[in-house]
Amino acid sequence: MRIAVKQDPSEPRRVVDEVERFCLERGLSNDIVFRFQLSLDELLTNVISYGFEGVTEDPVITVDIRLGDADIEITIRDNGRPFNPLEDAETPDISLAAEDRPIGGLGIHLTKSFIDTLAYERVEGFNCLTLRQPLGAAGSEESPDEH
Amino acid sequence: MNIETSYSGDTAVGVVSGRVDSSNAKDFDGELSGIIDGGATNLVLDCGSLRYISSAGLRALLIAIRKTNQAGGGLALCQVPENILEVLEVSGFVRLTKVFDTVDEAQASFK
Repeated sequence: MRIAVKQDPSEPRRVVDEVERFCLERGLSNDIVFRFQLSLDELLTNVISYGFEGVTEDPVITVDIRLGDADIEITIRDNGRPFNPLEDAETPDISLAAEDRPIGGLGIHLTKSFIDTLAYERVEGFNCLTLRQPLGAAGSEESPDEH
Repeated sequence: MNIETSYSGDTAVGVVSGRVDSSNAKDFDGELSGIIDGGATNLVLDCGSLRYISSAGLRALLIAIRKTNQAGGGLALCQVPENILEVLEVSGFVRLTKVFDTVDEAQASFK
């Protein structure tokens, strides 16, 4: 399934809702849903807010979901400025006290922690970030949370 | 996201429900600031119905932690769902705020 994403701050929530629906309809666990919700909110917000600074081309952002036998893969593509979140984002110092903490910088860190496998490549003018999560034994017996 | 707040002296208990993400973190920040600026130096957030919190929500939480610290009080969380507890651990927030099982325990920590 492919979701086209507009460069609008309200879009991450819509995409998150669509991905949640996709996962729950296919009996995937709430744990997987949670991991993708969190990561997609972080990554898409970054792309929409900062990815097109200084870029003159019309923004093209897509989210592809592919469900395999053993894993689920989500790929975010955007034609914004080249940015590899796996290398270009600073690692926050999470040991700092509240008064010394910079405001921000946690989104990519959370994504790296919550997603099993992340892969980045720049292909024909597009940032392509793939998030892969094993379907695992987390189970699908839990009922979906209410909205 | 919704916060239902009740007050007991200078301690406020906010029951947070729904999700706090990039689209509504500003509202979350505004509500927490309103509670603290209204005179509650101790703030308990009951997270039992919180579905998720993203880094934008953590920023708002960080601001609230600073404000309550500056006011001589503090911020405590309770009934935190397991996956949100993982977010707090991964982000180091478990060192910035106390996490309790129940509202009563969180409230008692301020006495």
